[in-house]
Amino acid sequence: MRHKKSVALILLGISLLYLSCPAPIIHADEALNVSGRLDLRGAVYQENDSVKEAPGLEGRIKLDSEVSSWRFHSWLEGGWDGMVKRPPRDHSLFKNYDEIYQSNSPYLEFKELYVTHSSGALDLRAGIQRFAWGRLDEYPLNDLLNPWDYTQFLRKPLEDRKIGVPSVSATLNKNDWTYEAVWVPVFVPYRLPMPDERWSGSSLASLIVQTLPNAKIELQEPVLPDRKIENSSVCMRIKHAGDIEWALNLFHGYDPRPVFRTTALTIIPQGDAILIDPGYIPAFHRISAVGMDAAAVRGDLSIRAEAAYSFNRYLNIRQELWGYPVVPLPGTYPLNPIEQEHDTLDYGIGADHRLFEDGLLTMQAQQTIIFGNVELLYERKIETILWANLKVGWMNQKIDTNVNIAYNPEHGDRMARANAWYVFSDAFKAGITVRTFHGPSQSLFGRFSQNDQVDAEAIYSW
Amino acid sequence: MKGLTAMRTAERGLQSECQARKCPHRDPVVADMISSRSFLGDLRVSGFKIFFTVLSVFGVAAVIILLSSSAYAISGRQVYEKVHELRSKSLDREIESTMILFDKNGGKRTRTLVEFSKKADPEAYKVLVVFKSPPDLKNVGFLIHAHTFSDRDLWAYFPENKRVRRIATNSQDDSFFGSDLSYDDFGGPPNLDDYHFSLLKEEAIDGKPCYVVEVTPKIHRKYTKYRAWVAKDLWLQLKIEYYQDDSIYRSGLFQDVRVIDGIPTPFKIEMENRKTKHRTELTLERVHYHTHFPDDLFTQRSLERAGK
Repeated sequence: MRHKKSVALILLGISLLYLSCPAPIIHADEALNVSGRLDLRGAVYQENDSVKEAPGLEGRIKLDSEVSSWRFHSWLEGGWDGMVKRPPRDHSLFKNYDEIYQSNSPYLEFKELYVTHSSGALDLRAGIQRFAWGRLDEYPLNDLLNPWDYTQFLRKPLEDRKIGVPSVSATLNKNDWTYEAVWVPVFVPYRLPMPDERWSGSSLASLIVQTLPNAKIELQEPVLPDRKIENSSVCMRIKHAGDIEWALNLFHGYDPRPVFRTTALTIIPQGDAILIDPGYIPAFHRISAVGMDAAAVRGDLSIRAEAAYSFNRYLNIRQELWGYPVVPLPGTYPLNPIEQEHDTLDYGIGADHRLFEDGLLTMQAQQTIIFGNVELLYERKIETILWANLKVGWMNQKIDTNVNIAYNPEHGDRMARANAWYVFSDAFKAGITVRTFHGPSQSLFGRFSQNDQVDAEAIYSW
Repeated sequence: MKGLTAMRTAERGLQSECQARKCPHRDPVVADMISSRSFLGDLRVSGFKIFFTVLSVFGVAAVIILLSSSAYAISGRQVYEKVHELRSKSLDREIESTMILFDKNGGKRTRTLVEFSKKADPEAYKVLVVFKSPPDLKNVGFLIHAHTFSDRDLWAYFPENKRVRRIATNSQDDSFFGSDLSYDDFGGPPNLDDYHFSLLKEEAIDGKPCYVVEVTPKIHRKYTKYRAWVAKDLWLQLKIEYYQDDSIYRSGLFQDVRVIDGIPTPFKIEMENRKTKHRTELTLERVHYHTHFPDDLFTQRSLERAGK
């Protein structure tokens, strides 16, 4: 009920803001602009005993309107999510900002919904927004303003994973300088898949679900931080354009990356079923992060670099140290504390190189240094991700192909993805994507080792 | 000279004596002198012949040179200076256009785009191009800041990534979003010092007399040279052929020329890739010159806002 009130208030506020603008003179080219797309998707699985997903149909509608110095923008997304088990756990239609586990299908969600007022060099924007700070692809280090929806983690592109946050932003452009400030007044948590969903990865809960067909997992929703000023997030970015473009970023707010705390493992037989509470709950911690990013062109290379230092970041220790019993019988088992506080330094560099016409090679290397004692962590002192993508257009971009590989040398886990899209017409295209994952079960890519699959997708746009 | 004078004096003496006696000389010295005289006479005669022959040859050559130089009173470079001047005048502009891509099987794809351009300096300009359709390309844009005609920065914005990306300028000859036009075709005039120009001939295109100029880049480009048919009165390219080595790989026609605000403008541009048989038609829907856009239209912020 609380989330419905929040959404209603936000919509009312935005409407009032928009309607309070001066009497408009509507020109033909400022009229309402509507666009959208429908996305039909299905998958074939490499591992027969992996969790299956049903075909999904999702769509999005974008509305844009511009009147004088005001602009209104909305991006509504929804559909039938094939990842969600039937019947869905959550029967509400709209995604909300109050819950971690929201397996609802069909669903609707405002990815973006905001009003912008531009006055000279100043842009003021209020509403549900998604931001794209930083320069690196796939895992940008300074892009901390939006939590992610992990329910289709490595299947969805980066921007589609982001959850729009109610926020107010101000951007001032002065010659080569851009100053941006963002205030996110309410905490918006990330979203996780249920353990019986395909992209939950390997965890104790998902292992239980796979091995005990009559097990019913009861995941606890965390108590979110109170919605007050002290729990809001504030971010600033100062950018300078030039031969070398650079930006300084400051973030102070809740870490958008998942981390858990433990309670107790509870196993309760209930008739033919077994009710299991795996005993871990998402935890939320405030961090401060200072970062910078830069981009330049040198010769045939377009180069990007980024770094971020995070203070008071929490990480989880290795799963084998959480205290799960060797033989879990019905009962309650208190678990060990699993959080550790560390400062971290993330940095990375990437480059685009045009190999040939319509052939672009993107390479990226990034590392995370975890300060302090890392003996209990799964992560090593230094964690590396190497990433490369080759994008080739064929037949005047009627066919578009991508081959992408990512590798973590510390644990040997890796991901490979290849896709090909054929553009039938301006409105319709179809594609196939092959994905494969390898590595240890707790590693970033290895946890999805059961998720090798071939996706087929058709997109209609208007 | 003295020897020749002496021989001529001796000759006159011998001639007088021969005329008096009407007889040949038996004196071998005299005979020698007579034969020398003949040789000299022959020499004189042949010398004049040679002189006149050489004079004639040079004269004809001079006439030919004079005639040819008066036929091409302008050089290839000078033609392109005029073309450059026109393109520079047209840098302040807004153009809305439709681009249709035809593949060899008859399939077609349509894009609509708007181009904003501003002359920033005697040797600098800025261009912002934003796609209005199709849905996949809507609000995709690219921005050029040319510091000089040969030094440019490029950025591209893809709304799906919400990020502005810098692009290396070695892409300038690449296909512009799948079309047969290149990124360079949307830029401003090039630096003339980066090219060699050679006026080949004059030829008419659709009844319009043109200079045919061969342009060879001094720096590495996708093409080894191109030939352009430049209308004499308009200083506008009406036809262009791009070569890779000796074969044409891309050719274009610039048609439906109208004068807008005093600037000749082709409203229809056809470009064809001769190798793939793919063709692009660019039709201008609306053109405004002397627009004097503000500088803040050509910023990354404006690129992200699709020029709004």
